[in-house]
Amino acid sequence: MGINISATINGRQKALTVRPNQTLLELLRDDLLLKGSVEGCGVGVCGSCTVLIDGRPVSSCLMLATNADGKEVTTIEGLVRHGELDPVQKAFLNHQAFQCGYCTPGMIMAVKGLLASNPRPTEEQARDYLSGNLCRCGTYQEVLAAVKELAEG
Amino acid sequence: MRYFELAEPSTLEEACGLLNDNGEAKVIAGGTALLTLIKHGIFIPKTLINLKKIKTAGDITYDGQKGLRIGALAAIYDVESSPLVRQYYPVLAEACHVVANIRIRNMATIGGNLAHGDYQSDPPTALLALDAGVELMSRSGEREVKVADFLRGSYETALQPGELVSALVVPPVASDLRGSYIKFTTGSSEERPCAGIAALASMENGVCRELRLVVGAVSPKPVRMRRGETMARGEKLTPELIERIAAEASRNVEPIDDLRGSAEYKRHLVKILVGRAVNACVRN
Amino acid sequence: MTLVGTDVTMVGGLAKVTGAVNYAPDLVFPHMLYAKALRSPYPHAKLLRVDARKAERLSGVVAIITRDDLTGLNPYFGPVVDDQPVVATDRVRHVGEPVAVVAAESREIAEEALDLIEVDYEELPAVFDVLAAAKPDAPVLHTQRQETNAGVHREEFNFQLGGNVCSVFHVEDGDIEKGFRAADEIVENTYTLPPIQHGHIEPHAATAYWEPSGKLVIHSASQNPSGVQEQLAQIFRLPENQVRVIVPLLGGAYGGKTHARIEPAIALLARKARRPVQWVLTRDEVFLTGRRYGAVVKIKTGFKRDGTLVAREVVLFYDIGAYALNGPVNAKTGCYVASGPYNIPNRSLTTYSVYTNLPPTGPFRGVRVSHGCWAYESEMDDIARRVELDPLELRLKHLVKEGDIFVTGEKLVSVGIADCLRRTADAIGWRGKEEQARPPSGSNLVRGKGLAVTIKSTTTPTTSSASVRLNADGSAMLLTSSVDMGQGAQTSLAQIVGDELGLPFEKVSVSLPDTDVTPYDKSTSSSRTTFHMGQAAQKAAREIRSQLLDVGAKQLEARVEDLELRDGALCIRGTPDKRMTIAEIFKARFGSTVGSMFGGHCFHTQGGLNPKTGKGKAAVFWFFSACGAEVEVDIETGKVRVLRAITAVDVGKAIHPRMCGLQNQGSLLAGLGSALFEEMVYDNGQPINSNFLEYMLPSLEDHPREFHSLLIETPHPEGPWGAKGIGEAALPPVAPAIGNAIANALEGVRIRDLPIKPDKIVEALNFSKERS
Repeated sequence: MGINISATINGRQKALTVRPNQTLLELLRDDLLLKGSVEGCGVGVCGSCTVLIDGRPVSSCLMLATNADGKEVTTIEGLVRHGELDPVQKAFLNHQAFQCGYCTPGMIMAVKGLLASNPRPTEEQARDYLSGNLCRCGTYQEVLAAVKELAEG
Repeated sequence: MRYFELAEPSTLEEACGLLNDNGEAKVIAGGTALLTLIKHGIFIPKTLINLKKIKTAGDITYDGQKGLRIGALAAIYDVESSPLVRQYYPVLAEACHVVANIRIRNMATIGGNLAHGDYQSDPPTALLALDAGVELMSRSGEREVKVADFLRGSYETALQPGELVSALVVPPVASDLRGSYIKFTTGSSEERPCAGIAALASMENGVCRELRLVVGAVSPKPVRMRRGETMARGEKLTPELIERIAAEASRNVEPIDDLRGSAEYKRHLVKILVGRAVNACVRN
Repeated sequence: MTLVGTDVTMVGGLAKVTGAVNYAPDLVFPHMLYAKALRSPYPHAKLLRVDARKAERLSGVVAIITRDDLTGLNPYFGPVVDDQPVVATDRVRHVGEPVAVVAAESREIAEEALDLIEVDYEELPAVFDVLAAAKPDAPVLHTQRQETNAGVHREEFNFQLGGNVCSVFHVEDGDIEKGFRAADEIVENTYTLPPIQHGHIEPHAATAYWEPSGKLVIHSASQNPSGVQEQLAQIFRLPENQVRVIVPLLGGAYGGKTHARIEPAIALLARKARRPVQWVLTRDEVFLTGRRYGAVVKIKTGFKRDGTLVAREVVLFYDIGAYALNGPVNAKTGCYVASGPYNIPNRSLTTYSVYTNLPPTGPFRGVRVSHGCWAYESEMDDIARRVELDPLELRLKHLVKEGDIFVTGEKLVSVGIADCLRRTADAIGWRGKEEQARPPSGSNLVRGKGLAVTIKSTTTPTTSSASVRLNADGSAMLLTSSVDMGQGAQTSLAQIVGDELGLPFEKVSVSLPDTDVTPYDKSTSSSRTTFHMGQAAQKAAREIRSQLLDVGAKQLEARVEDLELRDGALCIRGTPDKRMTIAEIFKARFGSTVGSMFGGHCFHTQGGLNPKTGKGKAAVFWFFSACGAEVEVDIETGKVRVLRAITAVDVGKAIHPRMCGLQNQGSLLAGLGSALFEEMVYDNGQPINSNFLEYMLPSLEDHPREFHSLLIETPHPEGPWGAKGIGEAALPPVAPAIGNAIANALEGVRIRDLPIKPDKIVEALNFSKERS
């Protein structure tokens, strides 16, 4: 009933047993206790569950855990390196690009995905890419400002 | 989510075999559409056949004679960003680019997109305009069906039991056939399309050699506007002719009232958007 | 003041950007179970039989609660009316009402168990339209109602019995009939607003367990720990000290988490299960649990040819859903502002809160005001067009001013509305009458600008208590039941306490709410925290301040008036070398450098309205705001783009200007969504679009390319540093400003039913073309 997979989670290779109907988000939160990725809608729209698979953003709420086999999974918890914040995290802090913070990890992972595919996005490109990550508190302007700083840096 | 068993074949052939042996099983590729249905209790499968572990069947190749071949398991983002697609079939890249959001495009597959038969989706509209075909595989062999015949209605396709989509094939087009895909939403930018228009034309000295026109998301399946295309062939595309083509298109859709707009509004919208799309072909 | 008024680094940012915040759904307890509810598929039905025995036998199911588990409890609760059952008892009143709740070892098992619970329903006629529900012949939802004593002045609501009208509120000025007779012209219109979602990305979530002593502990994503504590104590017949409510940081709320919703059921389930039980709602379930009520607004205005408003009659019908929650409060507070922030000599304002067989409602960002504002600000522009006056001038002519007597009979204090409006008009580039007389653009794209203003009250009277504890090392803790849901309460309250005690910002911490430790607060709602809890915190800190100054005066042989607290020490003003550290003060006071110094304060506001006359004091302070919007409309497709938006709020004093700007951005976005596409759709009570694929929240792409937040500071004599509040203030005028911009772009063609979707615009343009 369990499926054995091997995945690299935030740089660490792990041998895991997952249920067939388990989503990647459930694996991360329930089994690995990585609670930074959260469920906001369950249907891939809000982006609060965004993680990177081989550097590309996905909705972990709609990905079967088994499909993490052989992949590099990066969650918000994997960004801090040797105690240093990732530049995206620093930029978010500089511009205070968050209010309640619930959408923030997903938003940061989306920005990571954006910059990996386009290190110097224009504002329009950033809008287009990030428009799939929702924020109800209203911090879009600050997110764009953070991306602008990263694009120019 | 309710429990289901998951079979994980390593080739498409193996998947076909499993599909053949278990009439109740369904294939799952990207899972973005299927898991949403399962989570809402609309579909409660006992067994799913996971195609995502198949390492092949996602390649995108091009050949001057046969055209483009896209493995069914290519992610929508892979189609959108493929240099081959961008060079030879930019309208397909455009249509893929506006699907949902970047995460869905990284996960959903082009084969899954076609097989789902979602009428409010963008890629099928462009594929129809490009005269694309769907390669279907089953235990008994392979067959090719044109997208026009593959999409039957709202969430209804020509897939037979035991069959799955193995590839998409897009025939070569004239190098000067140019146009665009317009996705129109009536609410948020992130909404599903209220209408999707694919319009391609090859023009010579102001005369239209060929027009391809498809209206999607309005009817239970995307509609190829053959009459409008005939009206345009060999003619100068004057504003007056374009208006007639647009009016003709508007008459050939079957809109329904839904959250995105009333049927009457959609018919009106088709007229406006088709006019604009064809005009854009002329300007470019 | 060194902290107040500056953009200090917001508290908790590091945890937010590293995913380290422990939100309610993140909590894990040993032996924790997972809950899932069986929900009614019918909008109105008798509950004939509920049998959970088969489900109880499913392996992994630990406990199930149904109406059979309600003995010994007060099974009905509510902030105003005790009409909401812990689980459905004799009938269900909306699709989605919980009939049973299961606790199991996994979410999957809990979901499976639902299939095994046998329920027999007998469908009853249902009613969904608020006007139909208000009629005497409508099917009745609540045949008997009780009142609660949960800290609300229940005599202020005029409860009605017999039908679905829950309460009525009415207030008037002058003589409405005479007023209309004196008018040169009368216009009368009906405006409608659909129900909409709060959209907090974090769903409702709570974990409950019972200590062996019989004490209930509940961790809940709630805006209202004291209120939930009160409700649970009442339901379970416990003294309040046997109920502990702990609230983590919230992932957004906007009013949706203000009252007990899932807490009573989860508490009961945990008691039966004898293990911690966690309940996290799915997004679909959130749609069934709370929303902003829809409304029908009938507005009639009489005016002179020169534009002077002489009479206004407004009747509002609020569809409050199946259970009252604070519907009657909303009816009251929406009533007296329904004619707008204007001096109109004759007016008659009436609101009805009406039960319908739709999911429950409750508080919502800006809810006291948005429905009336949509109507009166749209009318204002139409009247301006009629009398050929600049809509800005017409408003300025009638706006309330400092010292004016409002319709409730109270004097208005700290009234910055004219400033808000003028600065907004400036910022949007308002060109006067021209804005309503634009020449046709000759293309399918037309542009227009629109303005709107609003007045809103804060809930009065209420109580907020705070205590401050100063440690000997000069660090301090503010104990408060105020909830931080992203608005930054933990930051702004720390700024206030820090300045009072002269401490650097890093030395002041604000607790999370824990009713075992943090004192009573009415709730974190009504944008009341800065004013009320700010006052309580400031005064609590002041008690410590006095203690410090007294010791310092003795030790330094100075007068108290000559001393100051700054940078964590006490010194004689002008002679910085004559100073004492906090530790030295402790030593002097207690003889050792350990211990605590305490300060506490219970801040009450006075007021209230006479339910018969509607007169009295509605608000200890008022919110004033303005919005300006510029839109581009494609007249062929009806698509609207909001190009630019300005919001201006009179905050009294901006404790943290940047956070104020963030609040305004959130208000603007929510207002934009409500104006252009947000609506909950039902088909005979069945929700059609109860997920984020079909119900859209505004995206980054929807956000205007240009948005500015303006802060006007008209100090309030009672606010901390003159501060009032801001959380919701900017929201209500957004939809009418956009509506007015659209109408101005379309040469006066007006849509009165939200949301303004493209098909409505095309229809309205066709209709007006046919008419002319």
